[in-house]
Amino acid sequence: MERRTFLQQLTATAALVAGAATPYGLARVMTPEALAAPHTHLRPPGALRDDNAFIEACIGCGLCGEVCPVQAIRFYGREGGNKVNTPYINPAKKGCILSGRCMEVCPTNALTATPKREVAMGIAQIDRSACYPWVDRGVCGACANVCPVGKEAITFVFANFYRPVVLKGCVGCGVCVEVCPHPSRPIRIAERSLVQYAPAAIIPESALPPAVNPSAGVTGHGVPAQPEAGETPRPGVVPF
Amino acid sequence: MEQHVQKQPDSPVPFFLWRHLNTVRRLVLLLVFCLLILLPYISLYQNFVAGHAYDLLTPHERRIYDVMEWLTAPIARSDPANNLNMIKGNTWSGTLFGLKLSDPLAVVGQVAAQFKLYWPFLLTALLPVGLTLLLGRFYCGWICPATLLYEINDAVRHRLVRLGILAQGRRMDLRLKYGVLAVGVGLSTALGTVVFSAIYPPLIVGREIQYWVTANGVGAGTTFFLLTLLFDLLVARRGFCRYLCPGGALYALLGRYRLVRIQRLVNRCNDCTLCDKVCPFALRPMRDAFGQECNNCTACMAVCPPRALTFRLRIQDQPDQGPGHQGPAHRRAAVRVTAKGEVA
Repeated sequence: MERRTFLQQLTATAALVAGAATPYGLARVMTPEALAAPHTHLRPPGALRDDNAFIEACIGCGLCGEVCPVQAIRFYGREGGNKVNTPYINPAKKGCILSGRCMEVCPTNALTATPKREVAMGIAQIDRSACYPWVDRGVCGACANVCPVGKEAITFVFANFYRPVVLKGCVGCGVCVEVCPHPSRPIRIAERSLVQYAPAAIIPESALPPAVNPSAGVTGHGVPAQPEAGETPRPGVVPF
Repeated sequence: MEQHVQKQPDSPVPFFLWRHLNTVRRLVLLLVFCLLILLPYISLYQNFVAGHAYDLLTPHERRIYDVMEWLTAPIARSDPANNLNMIKGNTWSGTLFGLKLSDPLAVVGQVAAQFKLYWPFLLTALLPVGLTLLLGRFYCGWICPATLLYEINDAVRHRLVRLGILAQGRRMDLRLKYGVLAVGVGLSTALGTVVFSAIYPPLIVGREIQYWVTANGVGAGTTFFLLTLLFDLLVARRGFCRYLCPGGALYALLGRYRLVRIQRLVNRCNDCTLCDKVCPFALRPMRDAFGQECNNCTACMAVCPPRALTFRLRIQDQPDQGPGHQGPAHRRAAVRVTAKGEVA
């Protein structure tokens, strides 16, 4: 090959590689804080526990998002770094209803078929300084009513009328985060391994780990959570 | 007196439908593309139906519901939530009438990334691999949803070149794409992600449509895809498919000894070189040079005036058969022979 041809081809290839880097690499270099951001979202149900293993197994086909009945599953863009094109669920926006469709269609072992009650996306935690019944601002129970798992996951304890408590059965689907009428979203989904819980017992405040989902994890005091970019704020819910 | 001697072609006329395969192919590409647009909407519609959600939908969603209800009525009958599940997903991975299929590149990338063999996933690539062993890069020409856009782009490019706005593209080394494949596999292993999923145009097309319809809008993939279109326009004709596509590289390797090949019938060929000009991959049918790059798109068959191209079942190309027997070189030779008074 002549030197001239070779140089031309080299230039063309370099231009293409640089061009390819523009949507992916350069954006990451220019926004380093995006890389440093903590794990803010949940993986879909049945996802491999180790997130690195999940990223390795996921081929980014997007099938899980297509079949999700409530379109809870979204996909990381370039801001996700090496998580690009892998699915996540942001419970503050839309919680998982545990339909199991994503686990059925996933072609790889990234999402493995798991019975509803054995899903381990995380565990819900209720901020008792904000939750309406816990601060005696009324009777609510939205979270307990909507929970797809049921009484083993979230219930009211006797003598704590309508004050919800999370039990061991919680799988962290995040529907309660979505429906909670409090503007500060006092329920957050924490990583399961970090939580010290006892079966059918109230989780002590001291055992609360740092929030996994900061947008949902703002503690109480009526401060509305910041909506995501592009998200229209929810219509105001009148506390009762 | 000089007589014009011309051998009658003694090979049979190729099957008449093969001249129209290129049209069929374009229709197939269009069908795949339309399906990729329809499928996310069908999924949305199924979810709306399953949720009995019509009264809660926004006007936009309600329009989707109405249109999809009208479109799918003959297939869905009374139960859209269960009757429309025959096709799901995209060309990277999906379900076709209960059969899970995946792109072999997805399997290669995933195995490279996680260093584990997950058999249910490996088996999904069995049928595509088998077909590629028989038909070569047929995926590139017949299924790939990006090919449709690249061909439209190529038609635009052709007109711009004729108007003198764009320069003729440059030729590069066809082996570049094997480098891209190798680097991609290496990067998948090193980074622990399937990097092909970020740069593989058919997947980008399918997935970005789906993101647009059911998830959070188009992303970096669209930018990348537009850049490849620009590359095709400004640098090389169909350059991405020919020089850079890792999937094309994998399919070409698999299809190296494919069984179904286009071959030139030298008896019928008149050396018009139309096939050389029309070949989108710049192969040389006139020199019997198809190689592993040919994706059986049959564009050359469609334009060949003397119908000198046909399909043959062979695992290798014929060696160069020389100029066509109906061509000017042979005609001149025939004239020279008769001028000496010998029988041609």
